[in-house]
Parts: sequence; structure tokens; C-alpha cells
Amino acid sequence: MPEAASLPLNVVDGLNLEEKYRKTLRPGELLQDREGKTRRLPRFFYEVNSWDTARKTELSPHFALWEFINTDLHEAEVLRRFPRYIPCAVAALAAALEVLRVHLGTVVHISANGGYRSPGHRISGHGSTHHWATAANIYRIGDEYIDGEEKIQKYADVACKLLPAIWPRPFGRQIGFADDHLHLDLGYSVVIPREADGEE
Amino acid sequence: MESTDNAAKIAASPEDLQWKIEEIGSGCEVGVAFFDYATQLQWSYQAHRWFHAASTIKAAVLLALFKAIDEGRFTIDSRLHIRNRFLSVVDGEPYRISPDRDADSKIHAAVGKTMRLGELALQMIVSSSNLATNLLVDLIGIDKAQQCIADLGCGGIELIRGVEDGKAFEASINNRVTADGLLQLFRAIYERRNLSRESSDRMMEILSRQEFNSGIPAGLPSPIRDQSRIAHKTGDISTVAHDAGLVFLPDRKPYLLAILMEAGEENSPTQDKVAKISEAIYQRLVSA
Repeated sequence: MPEAASLPLNVVDGLNLEEKYRKTLRPGELLQDREGKTRRLPRFFYEVNSWDTARKTELSPHFALWEFINTDLHEAEVLRRFPRYIPCAVAALAAALEVLRVHLGTVVHISANGGYRSPGHRISGHGSTHHWATAANIYRIGDEYIDGEEKIQKYADVACKLLPAIWPRPFGRQIGFADDHLHLDLGYSVVIPREADGEE
Repeated sequence: MESTDNAAKIAASPEDLQWKIEEIGSGCEVGVAFFDYATQLQWSYQAHRWFHAASTIKAAVLLALFKAIDEGRFTIDSRLHIRNRFLSVVDGEPYRISPDRDADSKIHAAVGKTMRLGELALQMIVSSSNLATNLLVDLIGIDKAQQCIADLGCGGIELIRGVEDGKAFEASINNRVTADGLLQLFRAIYERRNLSRESSDRMMEILSRQEFNSGIPAGLPSPIRDQSRIAHKTGDISTVAHDAGLVFLPDRKPYLLAILMEAGEENSPTQDKVAKISEAIYQRLVSA
């Protein structure tokens, strides 16, 4: 398999993975989002062989790969072991978050389950952008916990000013809103690195 | 032989022990139950009266967690996202556990990260962490936890919600226990009723590391207490003081004991009174 230009990770076509991974990652399959719109899941993934690799792989100056695959027991069992797979759009997400990080000048903490979640993750009941690795749940910035309307709105405003195409989940207690973290996402974006195989 | 003699004394004068408990618990409602493995003696006082469970319900959550582990739903090393957000059973509105009202700060410091279930179980018991309790209740599921408790024959335990659900408290929707229910719960753990040896041993080890020891343990004479192991769980709110668990004295089979006390706020029960009842039972069982 070809290696990414500067990341020490193989790019794999999800359709060529073993069945146990295909059943969980569902590469290229269609999913409905919360509004009932049909979206196509990513097909190309970075292959991560160990936690050590995840810790050492920097996607941007301030974000390492592990921050986006830090899931808990709700993730599908096959993806709680290595190798693990993450859609290539995670690099674009890290680049966007880097802009925010540099502007704020302090650490932007992504929560557990707040980066990539596979379609087999048990806390997602619909086509969440987390399945595309284009979403991040930020629970803390510096020493400040983002757990109230004022803080969520403040940092959402900063993010939108810096990155007009980013989408912050609105504050609220109902399903589809957030009240204890800042959710930012790039929508249902798919990234196909140059070294990826061609599609048929 | 000595234990059998003591059992005979208790059997001959249950009113005396009851009178002593009523004297200590004057102004409070009291429920007491014990079972002595050394003599097979079981004795109780208002054992089926329901009390607000306070933190004794955490022993039931512990049992349900290990039952779920035995069933293969999780492992003790599974990692769980620490999130301080729970839904009230009254209206489904979110609420949080205030760090100021929780005895444990370690888990609050881990919000946003993950922790192993074994560590959460430990903190739920030894430091009575409310945050750990609610995380585990949500993970196990109330229905499954209730079924587990029922399957193990613990009739005097009503687990219906997480802790610190203020709206539920105001609506009098509370977890409840009886002295007999807690006795059966600890029997189930110790006797491995439908539980693996590994899970039973692990629960006993966790319960033995209890950091709140002003109830049952404080009722033992200090030289004996230093040589004993007490696997227990306390429960305290403004109107109740409880303690329940197993007392492993040196060179003797253990006894199980549940002491529940409840009163109005003007006459608050205390762990000091629980300790005095524990002392009375110890004296009768072991050194009369």
C-alpha cells in the first residue's frame, strides 16, 4: 500500500479491508443524517498500527492523531484494538483546529469519543459527522471547561470568525444540541490523499 | 464453642438487644439485621422497614456492574468516557454532579478523558464518588441493574435512579433499602450467588478498602479492629446514617451486619450511633 506523503501512515481503501472492518467502517455506504438526508461514508482511511504511532503522529503542530481516536467501550470492539482506521479527512479537521489553537494561544482539548467515531460506535444513532472524522467535541480550552451557554457561544463565535465554513452545534439541552462541550465540524467532507488507489 | 454459647445468649434475650438498639437510636427510626456465619444465627429489628438508601445503593450498583462483567458486557479494564451530564428521571432534563458535593475529586478531574471501570468501581465505593456512581448506572442501565438485583434475591433494594437527581428527590422518587435487603445483597456477593469467584473476590477487595470507617468498624474494640477486615458501604445524608457489610474478625468466620437509621433534620442520626449499635452487636456475638 502507498504511504502518505509526509504522514507515517498507510492509506487504505476500506473496500479492501477484512470483512470485520468493512462491517464496522461501512466504507462508501450511504447513511442518513439527523435530518434524513442521505450521506456517503468515507472510503479511504489512514491505518494506525499502534497507540504509540497515534501518539507520535502529528497531524498539525498542536494536534496528534491519538486525540482523534480516543474512544471508550462504546466503540465497536474491533476498533478498540490495533490496527485502527480513521478517515483521511481527519487531517483537514486537524488543520482547521490548528487555526483556532494558534489564535487562542492555549491548549484545545478534544474529549474522549469527541473525534472519530465509527458507524458502529454505540452512542451515535444516526449519520453523525464524527463518522467522517470531520467533527471535534471540545470540552476544555486551556483551564476553562466549556460547559455552559456563554462559554460555548463565545468559542463558537471565535471559531466561525476564523473559519467561516465550520459549523458549531448550537447550545441547547435537546437532542441535536450541546450543553457541555463545543462541537465543531466541517460537514460531510471526504479527503482522498494523492497516494490513495483510484476508485472504480 | 464460644460462638455457639453467645448465640444461645442472644436467642435467649432478643428483647435485651432490641432494648439496647432502641436506646441508642432514640428519636430515630432504626433497622438492623445481622447474620453470623460462625453460629448461623440471624437476628433483625425492623428489617423490612424501607429507608432512603443514600450511598448504600452504591453497593447494589457495584453488584450489578460485576454481574454485567460476568455476562461479558464489559471488562474491568474497559475504558469509559468521563462526562458529567445526567438526565433526571422526573423530566429527562440534564443535571450535573457538583464537585463541591462529591467526596471524590479524582474523577471530576478526569472529565473529558476516559477511566477504567475498575477504577470507577473503586472510587464509587471507597470515596463514595457520586460521579462514578452515575456513570456506572448509566452504563449498566437501570432496568438491567434492577433485574440483576431481583435475580440475586435481594428484595429489599430499590434502585430506580442515579444519585444527586435533585428533582427526583423533591418528588420523593428515591432509591430505597431495607436492612434485610442489604443483608441479602452482601450475602449474594460473599456467597457468590450467580457470580464468578473472581467478581466476588474483586468486590470484597473493593469494599474492604472503604475510607469512611466511622460506622460499623468504629464499633469494634480498637485492638480487634486493627486485626479485622470490614468490607462495607456507608450512606449519609442529613436525615439518614447507614452502614452495611461484612466483618471479618481474626480466627473466626465473618458476620454480616446492616444498620439503618433515619430521622428528621432536628434529630439527625449519625455514624456515631451506628458505631454504638455495631459495638452492641459485636459484644453480644463475640465477647459476651
